[in-house]
Amino acid sequence: MSDSPVKLSVEGLTKKFGDLEVLRSISTSINRGEFVSIVGPSGCGKTTFLRIVGGLEKANSGEVKLDGRVLTGPGSDRGFVFQQDNLLPWRTVLANTEIGPEIGGYKNSDQRKTTMRLLKLVGLEGFENYYPRQLSGGMRQRVNLARALAVDPDLLLMDEPFSALDAQTREIMQTELMRIWEEGRKTVLFVTHQIDEAVYLSDRVFVFARRPGRINEIVEIDLPRPRPLDMKRTPEFMRYVDHIWKLIEEDVRASVLEEHA
Amino acid sequence: MSEAALQSSEPGRGKSFAASFLAAVRARMWGIGSVVGGLALWEFVSRFIVGSKLFLAAPSQVAVALVNLAGTGELGKHIYISGLEFLIGYVVACVLGILLGLSMAQSPAAKQALQPWVSGLYATPTVALAPLFILWFGIGILSKVVVVAVLVIFPVVINTEAGLRTTSVQLVETVRSFGANARQIFFKVSLPSALPFIFAGLKLGIGRGLIGVVVAELFGSRAGLGQLISQSAETFNMPALFAGVAILAAAGIAMTSGFGWLERRLLPWRE
Repeated sequence: MSDSPVKLSVEGLTKKFGDLEVLRSISTSINRGEFVSIVGPSGCGKTTFLRIVGGLEKANSGEVKLDGRVLTGPGSDRGFVFQQDNLLPWRTVLANTEIGPEIGGYKNSDQRKTTMRLLKLVGLEGFENYYPRQLSGGMRQRVNLARALAVDPDLLLMDEPFSALDAQTREIMQTELMRIWEEGRKTVLFVTHQIDEAVYLSDRVFVFARRPGRINEIVEIDLPRPRPLDMKRTPEFMRYVDHIWKLIEEDVRASVLEEHA
Repeated sequence: MSEAALQSSEPGRGKSFAASFLAAVRARMWGIGSVVGGLALWEFVSRFIVGSKLFLAAPSQVAVALVNLAGTGELGKHIYISGLEFLIGYVVACVLGILLGLSMAQSPAAKQALQPWVSGLYATPTVALAPLFILWFGIGILSKVVVVAVLVIFPVVINTEAGLRTTSVQLVETVRSFGANARQIFFKVSLPSALPFIFAGLKLGIGRGLIGVVVAELFGSRAGLGQLISQSAETFNMPALFAGVAILAAAGIAMTSGFGWLERRLLPWRE
């Protein structure tokens, strides 16, 4: 492992779907242990960006490097937390959590201990033998997170993981995610369309613009950690939210008009 | 945890056998009543309204015929022959059907080549070809095995293929994100997600297979329940005819519910 603080670096990333330029020449980097969120209007390519970093989609040009290695496809060095929980319905919580190690071929008794520790960490101790259909949406997202953490990834990629949850559960999950993240300080790239969620969670927020998708501004969130939920009502917090909202407001209006046209 | 809205059901324990038996009867009261009432009505109609065994045998007369046929060993022979025909044809059709369904799901070329035949023959009442199979494969069990297999194979192929084809793209992507290869995707996602479909195909095959056995035997055979039925019809022995039908019905019910039980054991994750 290198001494460089840079964990993920992206250079000149461009992605087209046919004639549509989804991402234009994105270059940026994320440091080890940093929590970075991406916000932007729909159609700004934020999810596509995340999927390319995850190896689930190929870029037309440009490079993604993790610890200096060029990434060419998916792998267990990254843990992907999906928008829908995507749990395998025929597997129990335990078996779902262990799918990554199982695919990597390193499922053993040590791994079982790690899995049990992770399930405890995400608050699912005692639910190991439940099937997904027996769990609530919030619990399923906890399994989704534990599954990504089970491969002990260098980089955690999260694609609007709380968007399908109700408002209260979502807030609880945000604090839970913070608590879990404080434990290991993984490098996280988190996509959301919810500005207050991005501000609350992140060290930095990448604000994307659309047509073509690109980074409009990078906002450093200089708020102390750990962050209690009521921080969301402080003037400093509101200032960040306002600032980011102003950056994307016009884009959002344009995309809303387009969707209704 | 506030969101821990669980729906786990714990079966009642600690009750005596008699009490739980009574509770089970009460829970199925309308079903049991309907069957008992139907049999009573049948008995009444055949004894007091039709009044002739030549036209309609009463359930009690069918029961007597069953006991008599069983006593002479005739019934056992018929059941053995029909059961053997069904079993061989069914197993062969299931194995071949699953393999064909797999290949259709895996290879677009195989799918294109096989689809017209599968759709066409599934819709065709292939049981009408039974006399032809008897001509080709003789009056023994082989011709019946073939008829059963031909009837059973199509729902199995169709369901296997459909089950694999409808595998969730999101689930495949999830395991792919962990670096899964094609083999791992198949065994960890596609196959388990297709299992309920495959099971449904196997279940559909039971009814079709039983029809195959009987119809093929009606067209020409030396033994079997279909032969018992046709022979009884020729001699106007209605109680024996109904006895054959009753055995077939019982076999169908037993196999279908056996499958239901197996399904709950093997696929406990379903509702």
